[in-house]
Amino acid sequence: MSERTKKRTQVADVDRSLYDFTYSEEGYERYDDGLTPDIVRAISEKKDEPEWMLNMRLAALDTYHAKEMASNWGPSIAGLDMDHISTYVSPRTKQAKSWDDVPDDIKNTFERLGIPEAERESLAGVGAQYDSEIVYHNMREEVAKEGVVYTTIEDALHDPQWEPIVHEYFGTLIPPADHKFAALHYAVWSGGSFVYVPAGVTVDYPLQSYFRLNAEGAGQFEHTLIIVEEGANLHFIEGCSAPKYYEANLHAGAVELFVKDGARLRYSTIENWSKNMYNLNTKRARVGADAKMEWVSGSFGSHVSYLYPTTILQGDRSSCEFSGITFAGATQDLDTGCKVILNGANTTATVDTKSISKDGGCNTFRSSVVVGRRAANARCSVSCQSLMLDDISRSDTIPAMDVRNATASVGHEATIGRISDDTVLYLMSRGCSEAEARTMVVGGFANPVSKELPLEYAVEMNNLIKLEMEGAIG
Amino acid sequence: MSVNDERIALERVNTPPAQTWNYLRTNDITLTVPAHSRKGDVFFALPRLFEQVECGMGPKVTEWVESQAADAHYVEVRAGVQRAEPIIAEDDTGVMVRAGAEATIVIGASPTEEALDTSASLVRIIAERDTTVHVLEFVAENADQHVHSVGITAGANARIDVRQFFLAAGTTAAGLTVALDGDHARLDLSCRYLGREHDVLDINHVVRQRGRQTRANVRESGVLDGHARKALRATIDLIHGSSGSEGAELESVLVLSDDVTNKTMPVILCDEDDVAGNHGASIGSIAPEQIQYLRDRGLSLEEAEALYQRALFDEALIAAPTAGIRHTVLARATAVLGADVANDLVAGLGLDEAKEV
Repeated sequence: MSERTKKRTQVADVDRSLYDFTYSEEGYERYDDGLTPDIVRAISEKKDEPEWMLNMRLAALDTYHAKEMASNWGPSIAGLDMDHISTYVSPRTKQAKSWDDVPDDIKNTFERLGIPEAERESLAGVGAQYDSEIVYHNMREEVAKEGVVYTTIEDALHDPQWEPIVHEYFGTLIPPADHKFAALHYAVWSGGSFVYVPAGVTVDYPLQSYFRLNAEGAGQFEHTLIIVEEGANLHFIEGCSAPKYYEANLHAGAVELFVKDGARLRYSTIENWSKNMYNLNTKRARVGADAKMEWVSGSFGSHVSYLYPTTILQGDRSSCEFSGITFAGATQDLDTGCKVILNGANTTATVDTKSISKDGGCNTFRSSVVVGRRAANARCSVSCQSLMLDDISRSDTIPAMDVRNATASVGHEATIGRISDDTVLYLMSRGCSEAEARTMVVGGFANPVSKELPLEYAVEMNNLIKLEMEGAIG
Repeated sequence: MSVNDERIALERVNTPPAQTWNYLRTNDITLTVPAHSRKGDVFFALPRLFEQVECGMGPKVTEWVESQAADAHYVEVRAGVQRAEPIIAEDDTGVMVRAGAEATIVIGASPTEEALDTSASLVRIIAERDTTVHVLEFVAENADQHVHSVGITAGANARIDVRQFFLAAGTTAAGLTVALDGDHARLDLSCRYLGREHDVLDINHVVRQRGRQTRANVRESGVLDGHARKALRATIDLIHGSSGSEGAELESVLVLSDDVTNKTMPVILCDEDDVAGNHGASIGSIAPEQIQYLRDRGLSLEEAEALYQRALFDEALIAAPTAGIRHTVLARATAVLGADVANDLVAGLGLDEAKEV
């Protein structure tokens, strides 16, 4: 083997200029750093919320202070000091339905990220959040005519038709006491989306929410609540990014998904937070009989991530598919995976995840599969593949299975390895440079996940992989 | 440790190197064990070298066994010697296998007529370079709970093969850590277990692959019935510098009852790129087509399920190296499968114990 192929992969700093731009916060409303009941009351008052929501926030704040983080697992969050995080930062602008009505700096931000273009070409509706507030929300008229509701949680709370629905569902799937940062979320949540798809309605094009955190030393705590009624069908896309700062930022959102009997929901995420971000997000779906939940998840950013979308297959014959890829580079410690709880009879779950580690990045795939006593003939298969691109990175897989039904069948397989020299040599003998060969192999590795995304997002994901692989040969 | 009426709680022991969500209750086990005061007594302790051997159930259990056992047993197999007689490891035992030697080490309590409260052993093995070490571990004796912690370090080119049979009633907590420190060291581990009625099995396997070109091949399989509860944690740790190493782990579980709780946590930790690690787990019942195949040949479902349990005892009896161990396994086989089947097993092996059962 030539000396050339024996050389270690050296990855240059990634050009993140597409994402790493900032605008001044001058004129923005920014609450004091830290967490106090007064700040919680101020957020609630600003949103003119019903009393039950304020009470929920205050109780959650107490829970947050009472709960401890587990000390025996997970990456360190020692660099996150809530006394130096502002939980509410808002541009002084009203929510717009036309991009022309959005302030120039914010509009420029989303244009650089390609959101208005995507809206014109391939989406049924778009919500854009800038720091703590939604600044743009719109949906195609024909979709609205079908009875589909796509709005902010705040607006739904002020609508007599939807306030009782929000009250009924909000915080039920992810209770505030779920874990410390779920409690924090409920204390200070702001922004996010409320989606309601009536029974039998199929939304032909995806809806998308894009979250941009521009402010330094701030947190984003959006709440997404989606209800897909019986027999309905929706694809929801979530994107997020932030410029890089040297001060810690925090994302502690919550996503509650209710997929009723016979319905189908696909929830796709391309997460590209900057590498000073603590991403402590919680996502959970409850799936009814004969319904299907699909997750497609690409995690590229963040300094530290704790992210495990959970699916509760409650109804008989319900199913879920989870496809995810995580790319951890320098300074990143990404603890990602998923949880599946099979409660219904004849339920099925398929989990297929990939991870790539390079430049000293740490990847942990963490999962749990729990099969309840009632889940006769449940079937679950988990596949986890990890690729190591150098010898200073780290990749761990920590799955757990708990099976309590004799007729269930659960399978798990995981592999960890590197790109074989033979493969690189083969591609080089056919005219590829070593850099091209390695990028091609990594692209092929990620392909099963990217092919699950709409074309535009698959292209974005592949571009992110290319960015991460740039200069990958020394 | 909190002492209470000569009982102490060993809290959260048998933990793996990497843990997960605590609400799953998969990370550890808490045991209440006897704690007889030995204050003022002086016992023979193992050479300090053995303190460096990491044991599967962790330091709390090591400390407890050391405090409860009388004299520790130290056995040395001289360099280049092929020792035919097995070494019976009991209580607190340290075995030094010098370079180029071969030895068989048997872990398993002596048969007792009366039920014990707790049976426990702590076995530490240092296998120097070019050694071959066979470890046979049997847990089948008559006791309410069984606490067995084993640690092995392997030098360059050492060959370690471990066969474990966990067949006892009550609670079995067993931990094994094997450190493949030397280049080209190899571990082959086979673990067979049976859980029935209200048995509790808590097993922790850890393989540390430090040397270059090391190999670990871990296989666990078992049968769970009744209200049995089992947790298996199996970790392959590919440590930085272990280039060229490969680790594989595979578990296969047959679940025969809806009241069983089966927890599995197969972990790979990888801090090196030039390695290969893989694991798999298969959890389920006998496939309908297999049941039909057996029915076509006149076997009922119950008979088919009993075959799996019988196979476990059959394998354990074949592997049992001493009459004492065979007697213990047979007594347990009689309790689980009945005297007729136990006699049949013995007859099939051509052993004298058939008369004793």
